[in-house]
Amino acid sequence: MSSSQRHTNPQLKGIEDVAGTYVFDLRVSNRALKLNRFFWNFITPEAREAFAADEEKAMTAAGLNEEEKRLIHTRDWLGLVQYGANFFVLEKFARVAKKTNLEVYAIMRGESFDDFMKTRRVPDAR
Amino acid sequence: MARIIGGIGTSHVPTIGVAYDKGKQNDPAWAPLFDGYKPVAAWLAEKQPDALVFFYNDHATTLFFDLYPTFALGVGERFPIADEGAGLRPLPAIRGNVDLQVHIAESLVNDEFDITVFQNRPIDHGCASPLPLLWPHQPDWPGTVVPIAINVLQYPLPTARRCYRLGQAVRRAIESYPEDLKIVIVGTGGLSHQIHGERTGYNNEDWDLKFLELFEHEPEQLTNMTHADYVRLGGAESVEQIMWLAMRGALPQSIRKLHQNYYLATTTAMTVVLYDDGTEPMPAAVQEFADVQ
Repeated sequence: MSSSQRHTNPQLKGIEDVAGTYVFDLRVSNRALKLNRFFWNFITPEAREAFAADEEKAMTAAGLNEEEKRLIHTRDWLGLVQYGANFFVLEKFARVAKKTNLEVYAIMRGESFDDFMKTRRVPDAR
Repeated sequence: MARIIGGIGTSHVPTIGVAYDKGKQNDPAWAPLFDGYKPVAAWLAEKQPDALVFFYNDHATTLFFDLYPTFALGVGERFPIADEGAGLRPLPAIRGNVDLQVHIAESLVNDEFDITVFQNRPIDHGCASPLPLLWPHQPDWPGTVVPIAINVLQYPLPTARRCYRLGQAVRRAIESYPEDLKIVIVGTGGLSHQIHGERTGYNNEDWDLKFLELFEHEPEQLTNMTHADYVRLGGAESVEQIMWLAMRGALPQSIRKLHQNYYLATTTAMTVVLYDDGTEPMPAAVQEFADVQ
């Protein structure tokens, strides 16, 4: 789940020492498949509209569990990553939630958007 | 016989596509990025390649984790640009040359690269973000694309060395194609960036420049590195630089760097580099830009 987990893949040897990093491997993918599929579906306007119309109904129809629903309801971006969401479907949810990637990055770092942008070389590139 | 006339390494940051569509080419924050592509676009306009082979990754857009191929080659006359959650981009569908794509697929499989083939599927920012900076698209793209998607999302990923060898196999495939086509190989992704977890925003300019140096002169060193090495040095998502190694494998041992632009603005070190085999004089298109600078 997190980087503290031991990995059996030799290509990942030592990755547990890289803090704040969550390896998306087959074990995580298998466990969080429904959640990731839910976000993946946002590539269709129909899924985006269904979520906008009734979040709870859309999540229930997708078979999400209570923890997954809570993480989505509360827009807990870091929590979703820690749970097993892959960032590249999470960014599709970000479009639906009207957040830019830069805004999501700031939240995952625990910073305000302005504070985060101050740490960047070209804060105006957005 | 088809032949490879050069290679391009390029970032595929989705924000490049957003900035492009919003017309930010002259925005002071974005101009250093867009201007950095102009010599490459001019070189492509001068050389008129028939096809670009694009090593890119699908960002769980067209392909989902329930069936996510390690290597997948696209076959088709057209590939729509994907809707990734924000609607459709104003770009024509990417063009393809089915005969060339099929030849490469056949050659790879007979060369023991048992590649997956996708058809009639959209292509996302992994290819579509840099493509309009390389090629004009009005009224249509000037050539065709051979899309080759590589899994850089769901571990186990192919090793860096396997990607390099894929590039070598693609070179053999191209050089066995009977038609006299000019082909450019594009490797996408990177450079340093991490966009998930508390380590989001990590960059490493020293490593990026070292990577570019090794890439040009000692690519074997890069093929010996593990995914964990890439993650540690360049951030988690920089592991996608193994797709540059696929491009490197398709180029000759000795290459010449014609142009490089490195622009770290916010979270990704946005980079574009152009290579050829160095056997001809400096191309006029690239020389013009070098003279101005």
